[in-house]
Amino acid sequence: MKHRTRTVLAVASCTLALAACSTTDPDAAGTDSGDGGSDVETGAGVTDETIGIGMLTDLSGPFAAGAAVQVAETQGYWDRVNADGGICGRDIELQVQDHGYDPQKAVSLFRSMSSDVIALQQVLGGPTSAAVLPLAQQDGMYLGGHGWASVALEYENAQIPGTTYSVESANAVDYLVDELGLQEGDKIGVVYFVGDFGSDSLAGAQYAAAERGLEIVPVEITPRDTDLSAQVSALQEAGVQGVILGAAPAQLASLAGVMGSLGMDIPIIGNTPTFGPSLLETTAGPTLLENFYTTTSIAPYSSDEPGPQAAAELYEEVAPDGELGWEVPLAYAQGELLRDAIEGACEAGTLTPEGVVTAMRETSDLETQGLFATPLDYTEVTEPPTRTVYVSRADADAPGGLAVVDTFEGPSAASYGFE
Amino acid sequence: MSYLLTQLANGLSYGLVLGLIAVGFVIVFTATGVLNFAHGSVLLAGAYLVAVLQPTVGFWAAAAVGIAGAALLGVLINAVLVRNLAEANPGTAAILMLGVDILLLTELTRRIGNRVIPMGAPWGADRVEFAGVSLPTSRALAALVAVVLFAALWFLFARTRTGVAMRAAAADGDTASLMGIRLSRTGAAGWALAGALAAIAGIFLASFPAPGVAPTVALSAFAAIPAWVLGGFDSVVGAIVGGLVVGVATALAVGYEAELHVLGSGFGEVVPYLVMILVLLVRPSGLFGSKEAVRV
Repeated sequence: MKHRTRTVLAVASCTLALAACSTTDPDAAGTDSGDGGSDVETGAGVTDETIGIGMLTDLSGPFAAGAAVQVAETQGYWDRVNADGGICGRDIELQVQDHGYDPQKAVSLFRSMSSDVIALQQVLGGPTSAAVLPLAQQDGMYLGGHGWASVALEYENAQIPGTTYSVESANAVDYLVDELGLQEGDKIGVVYFVGDFGSDSLAGAQYAAAERGLEIVPVEITPRDTDLSAQVSALQEAGVQGVILGAAPAQLASLAGVMGSLGMDIPIIGNTPTFGPSLLETTAGPTLLENFYTTTSIAPYSSDEPGPQAAAELYEEVAPDGELGWEVPLAYAQGELLRDAIEGACEAGTLTPEGVVTAMRETSDLETQGLFATPLDYTEVTEPPTRTVYVSRADADAPGGLAVVDTFEGPSAASYGFE
Repeated sequence: MSYLLTQLANGLSYGLVLGLIAVGFVIVFTATGVLNFAHGSVLLAGAYLVAVLQPTVGFWAAAAVGIAGAALLGVLINAVLVRNLAEANPGTAAILMLGVDILLLTELTRRIGNRVIPMGAPWGADRVEFAGVSLPTSRALAALVAVVLFAALWFLFARTRTGVAMRAAAADGDTASLMGIRLSRTGAAGWALAGALAAIAGIFLASFPAPGVAPTVALSAFAAIPAWVLGGFDSVVGAIVGGLVVGVATALAVGYEAELHVLGSGFGEVVPYLVMILVLLVRPSGLFGSKEAVRV
């Protein structure tokens, strides 16, 4: 027993000693006079030849499938940037780590990675990015690809890829009134997951409904609820004229399937993460094709704008048999956002984590060739970079199952306030 | 009134399906003394088999394979892991089952990905109407199948040698063993039965009004745990009644959430546990559980 204790102590002290040695390469920081990006100040993650960027994603947890799509597209994106000469005369090195949707693991991965990267391309997932955001803020490190929860607008270092869930839903209410014929006094059901996604969606819908003189019937669900019969019956009983959904594809399929079977012929509008193309093959397919809309920051896969087209083309090259969905243009767009910020830092002569954040915050009119509905403005921390969304409908013939109907910014989405 | 009846019918049919799962928990517990926390992933494995096989071999053949597969999976878990632990602390076995659940669930999640795989059941999204109440055909059928299965279980346990042997083994393993009953067989039979019931429940839980097989289907087994506990850990009848109580209470709480707003939103989510706590306060061994011999 004593022997074992001693072994454990020995192993522990060795680990500690090793850990103490593994910090940043002292030569990495300092002033660089290498070729390419001449005379730029460099910091963590930057050498004469390479710029390291990190991606903390979920390759083993609940979002593994969608995450794999994003990893493939992101890797392809940076390979192409490197083939075109890189940034600041350096190649971009993407380091992908799996947090398995575990906030604790995400934090320790961030700790071990933060000295080797200039920025975080993505921290996938609400709870995981919520855990990493404040730490990245302390380190002054850029963090992108964290979804669309309004909470990101509290962080200077966070680059939200488009507008928030709340603005998506405020737009959904405006769209129901202005384009789909709902009247003052009508009721709208909001079916949502509690948390930084669904609750944000509800907040936007409630604000917009109050502005437009409608009433919200909130229905709280959890990811475990895949049979929404009772919830739909309650919505039918309340007499709603439209439904907004802040949940996941399994809930959308049940909601639409039950509504269809009850003959509830009313529009359903979902936030970005609610749709997946495989839903069109389920019993909910006909109802979705008839009544489903989605309000998204990012263009759907099938959009014919040059940005999403480039994303789709790249994806077909890197993952010919991959699943098609909104993850593809999103991953491409997140690559574009970070590239713009790193290029800005290079031009300003500060190729450091702080330099990337500063460059991102100086971006006031970023053109994305239709990846987002409007140019993006990141100069105000507490404001989303745009309030315009793509409105798309389910379409069996469109790759990825969604086809763009319009871009849209309603009056309540425009006036929604972030505290 | 018809709204109330509709919600009641929803709750009853869902409760009967929960009962199928809860009975599986009871059978495994009485047959081998294991709290089977891997039940949810066995359920998902059965439903997954059906969903991936049905496009090629048709729904009925796929259902047969899925049910047999889940039964076999149960027998395998029992043969490889549980039997070797027979004399160990039941707590160890429960934790082991949690481990098995995580392993199975991770692999199934990887296979399913972000798809929702349709179950392809022939009754699709049809509904049946009676007395002004409209219920999805799949749910009506689920209720019917559950009732038939419960009757079959009663027959098995009351009238067949295997069933009597299983009950004897559950009541007192050592004595049963001395009487010539092979505990390894009754254990395997229990796990097979539980696996098959779970797969049947899984087929209904993943058919309309649910969209198809997604990893979340495995979580349904957790909804059956309060049913199992409030019925009494070791009572098949208790599990069925527990399922009905939980199903109806949940459906009513969700259906009347607007009226129950003082209790906050999302009340339906906690109702099963609330009911369980209330029942256990009054009857610590559950509704039908066998009482502890010694109580001080």
